[in-house]
Amino acid sequence: MTTARPFLTILAQRALQAFIVAFIVGIVSFAMMQALPGDAAYRIAAGRYGYDMMDAAAAEAVRVELGLDRHWIVQLFDWLGALAQFDLGRSLVYGSPVIDEISVQLGYSLLLAAGAVIASLLIAVPVGIAAGLKPGGLVDRVTLAISIFVRAIPAFALGVVLVLAFAVQLKLFPVAGFRGPEHLVLPSLTLGLGLAAVSNRVVRDAVADAMAAEWQLFARTKGLSARLSVLRHVLRNASLPVVTYVGVQMAYLIEGVVIVETVFAWPGIGHALVHAIFARDVAMVQGTALTLGLIYVALNLVIDLACRGIDPRTRSA
Amino acid sequence: MTDQTQTGAMPRPRRAWPRIRPARGLGFTLLALLALCAVAGPDLVGQDPAKQSLLDARQPPSAANLLGTDHLGRDMAARLLSGAQLSLSLAVLSVLTAGLPGTLLGIAAAWYGGWTDRLLTSFADAVLALPGLLLVLMLAAISPGSWWALYAGISLTLWVEYFRYTRQRARIVIAEPAVEASRLLGLTPALIIRRHLVPEIGPGLLTIAAFGAATAVTAVAALGFVSVGVRPPTAEWGVMMTELLPYWREAPFLILQPVACLVITVLALHLSVGGMRRP
Amino acid sequence: MTVSDTPSSDTPSIAVDALSVFFGATRLLGPVSFRVAAGETLVIMGETGAGKSLAAQAILGILPKGLRAEGSITINGRRVDTLGPAERSALWGREIATLPQEPWRALDPLMRAGPQVIEAHRYVAGLPPEGARKACARDFETLGLQGAERRLPAALSGGMAQRVAFAAATAGQAPILLADEPTKGLDAERHARVVGLLAQVPEDGGALLVITHEVAVARALGGDIIVLRDGRVIEEGQTRHVLAKPQAPYTRDLLAADPEAWPKSENPTDGAIVLTAKDLAVTRGERVLIEGFDLSLRAGERVAVTGPSGIGKTTLLDTLAGLIAPAQGSVQRAAGLGRHAVQKLYQDPPAAFPPHVSLERSLRDIARLHDVAWDRVTEYLTALNLYPDMLKRRPDAVSGGELQRISVARALTVRPAVLLADEPTSRLDPITQRQTLELLSEITKDQGIAIVLVTHHAAIAENWAHQSITLRAPA
Repeated sequence: MTTARPFLTILAQRALQAFIVAFIVGIVSFAMMQALPGDAAYRIAAGRYGYDMMDAAAAEAVRVELGLDRHWIVQLFDWLGALAQFDLGRSLVYGSPVIDEISVQLGYSLLLAAGAVIASLLIAVPVGIAAGLKPGGLVDRVTLAISIFVRAIPAFALGVVLVLAFAVQLKLFPVAGFRGPEHLVLPSLTLGLGLAAVSNRVVRDAVADAMAAEWQLFARTKGLSARLSVLRHVLRNASLPVVTYVGVQMAYLIEGVVIVETVFAWPGIGHALVHAIFARDVAMVQGTALTLGLIYVALNLVIDLACRGIDPRTRSA
Repeated sequence: MTDQTQTGAMPRPRRAWPRIRPARGLGFTLLALLALCAVAGPDLVGQDPAKQSLLDARQPPSAANLLGTDHLGRDMAARLLSGAQLSLSLAVLSVLTAGLPGTLLGIAAAWYGGWTDRLLTSFADAVLALPGLLLVLMLAAISPGSWWALYAGISLTLWVEYFRYTRQRARIVIAEPAVEASRLLGLTPALIIRRHLVPEIGPGLLTIAAFGAATAVTAVAALGFVSVGVRPPTAEWGVMMTELLPYWREAPFLILQPVACLVITVLALHLSVGGMRRP
Repeated sequence: MTVSDTPSSDTPSIAVDALSVFFGATRLLGPVSFRVAAGETLVIMGETGAGKSLAAQAILGILPKGLRAEGSITINGRRVDTLGPAERSALWGREIATLPQEPWRALDPLMRAGPQVIEAHRYVAGLPPEGARKACARDFETLGLQGAERRLPAALSGGMAQRVAFAAATAGQAPILLADEPTKGLDAERHARVVGLLAQVPEDGGALLVITHEVAVARALGGDIIVLRDGRVIEEGQTRHVLAKPQAPYTRDLLAADPEAWPKSENPTDGAIVLTAKDLAVTRGERVLIEGFDLSLRAGERVAVTGPSGIGKTTLLDTLAGLIAPAQGSVQRAAGLGRHAVQKLYQDPPAAFPPHVSLERSLRDIARLHDVAWDRVTEYLTALNLYPDMLKRRPDAVSGGELQRISVARALTVRPAVLLADEPTSRLDPITQRQTLELLSEITKDQGIAIVLVTHHAAIAENWAHQSITLRAPA
């Protein structure tokens, strides 16, 4: 499942992934820019000086300044060059530097992501262990059925249902926005339930496999108590596939952040991305998509290192 | 002196999950019904999904409007059916455009190895560098509201899974003594693929196809819901959810209809291949 | 060896009376009764599927779900079959130690070898941390495992893993040792080492119960023996006597199947040379495994290749088959031999067939591609004691021995000049092994086919082949 990789290889692989993310985001953003209707110079001039202060001369000045009259391939290199220098430009809508907007939103998104992962682990680990200790038992079958059902509900639909149930009907939690910790509950739960619907089965498999392993039986027959065998052998072995799978789920997490933030009007990067796409604010789209992509890479790196920490085989190789 | 080979490394069959016998049957029945609805479309209820009638807005179900009317007085049943047409045809199309090349390239990568393999695997890894929905979202944003951008984006993200699965299984199968024996015995590559590979990867591909179709349906609705996919007034489940969300209090049965359609479709697709996929 | 007739709580012993294991109403094992006291050895011998392992599982109380044991089991003077699971598991490691079947799978893959032994000393024997570490170091020294403490199980050889398991299992000083197929998958040299380790147990005053399918293990351990077949006791008595003068026909077959007992093969016919290897070298990565290998293979000749595991026997075979280009030297086929003139037989017969296709379809494919009439194929099958009817099944629905013979028939279909067989019988039971190799030598003699057999069994190489080559690592 996990292949033995030296530390530097892990770093290099993830660095390459980060580079690819930046490259794809840059190219797609550039394509988006080219696809915008109307004259880009006019639009940028309007963004800079306001519609009232803008005229053909100002647009022409912008065109010359930014080289918008050059061939598109030259412009693409320019675009990617700016990206390589971490110059994300200014929001076409607000006029403020993209980096400022993102630095505010980033904290909210990370808070939501952390809340979601914690919620999913709080649900998946106990449920999975209970099911895995008795494979085929009642708990196993019931949780399987629930997992299948919850998994079939897309994150935003689940969000809508939770909002309707807990916020509108029961008035237990706030509907949207962020003003305090109680606002974190529903969005985290929405994402966490979606994550847990699959990961509880992974925990269940890992525990069931470890309990059925011959080394587990040998740990018992050599004289260790059931408790010691679980503590010293089963948990560590079972955690490896679980942590690996949490890595796989990071894609779902990032996707979920984008959608769930929009459902709950959460002031994070995902919401900003959707908003920017809607408003055709290309600079913001590029900045937010890039940040989300890099968070994804960073989370994968954390998982790689966690697996390395758990599995000594990858270190001694 | 130490022998580093590990004879005990043969994978053990995993413990079977409890089987829910009626699950697949239920999944297939639901899928057949959905397919029927999608093929017939709005004609099934004889209403025009686009025809507004503000006087008849937010009506409860009646003989004329089987599932009531929305905030603009359009027939809900007709709109849901029209949405089913859109979602399911897009799902089927993207499964085909992702599945065929994905599988064939996977076999090619495993069979030829070397540079072919490295090139294809790098391309697949590049697509996977970003979370799938993020990529679809951005591609869809190049030309907002276009059906084609959605279709291309979803297909581009989905093929990777067929490719990776096929490549991985095919590499294992090709390395088995059975294939070596067949080669020594003079079987042609086409026959080896037919006898050894196809029965091995067929069921797995079917599972990927069902889950991929569910992903496509979900993605279309998610993008429609956050207003970056298909645009109103097109009848699409995600778009309908956004439109009907403000009327929750007055007409709860309205918003729940597209939600139910979406969940039933995804559930039917998942159940048809056994409900839960081994990660 | 003294046999005490009065069991008392202070003499280590295990007594089993009318033990049977059932699946529903079907009796899988028994009734079997025996007694092993301090300083004694009991060997339970039988083929795979004879229910041997069920005896071990019943004694420990770890029968798989759905199986049920009857009869009484007494360990160190205490009746244990009536105890609950918690009380029975309290005996493990302290009253009765168990050596696992496959040591690699019995060790935690994520924990280094040392700590797996230390924890037994610490938590089972109850030593303080420092004492446990010292005890483990002592164990590793006595067992010749110095330096292996920091290794993970995957980096241990089969023989080393078995010794680590032995140290962990016996750390709790249990006076009884139960070993279920302790030599499974070990080559000759490591085999002897593990048997030596076991033989030490009764000498040190312990009681030893060994379950095996190998006559050689029983012979080396002595003591008493029980021969099982299909769960029933066929014969019992002192090992020495039973092996020298078997009474039951089945025991005789079993003993005759031991390659040591096979008749020496006659001299080869002087056939034409079909395959020549000159100054062949075999490498794995940068490492040279075999150097200067020469072979002139004649039609109808049987050559055996032996050597320790990891020496590159399989790679050598693949080089002879033309599947791998030689690192050095050459492999030459006789003029006029076609592309399919060299065929292979594999160690694990089910892995050599497409698993989802009926055997008939596999064979018909090959017959069609080579323009061979189907009647010819059925002739080969009949000559190999097979019924064409069983071809309707898939590879996993016929026994290993049958499948290996079907793979011989499959190879014959393409009229080969050379058969390269890679441990083709090592997964088969002794009696089946003998039948298969006898049929193989008959049919290759009739057809004038040369055969190269890779085996880890020195006696098979010696007695079955015309010529035996032992591989050694280059200095």
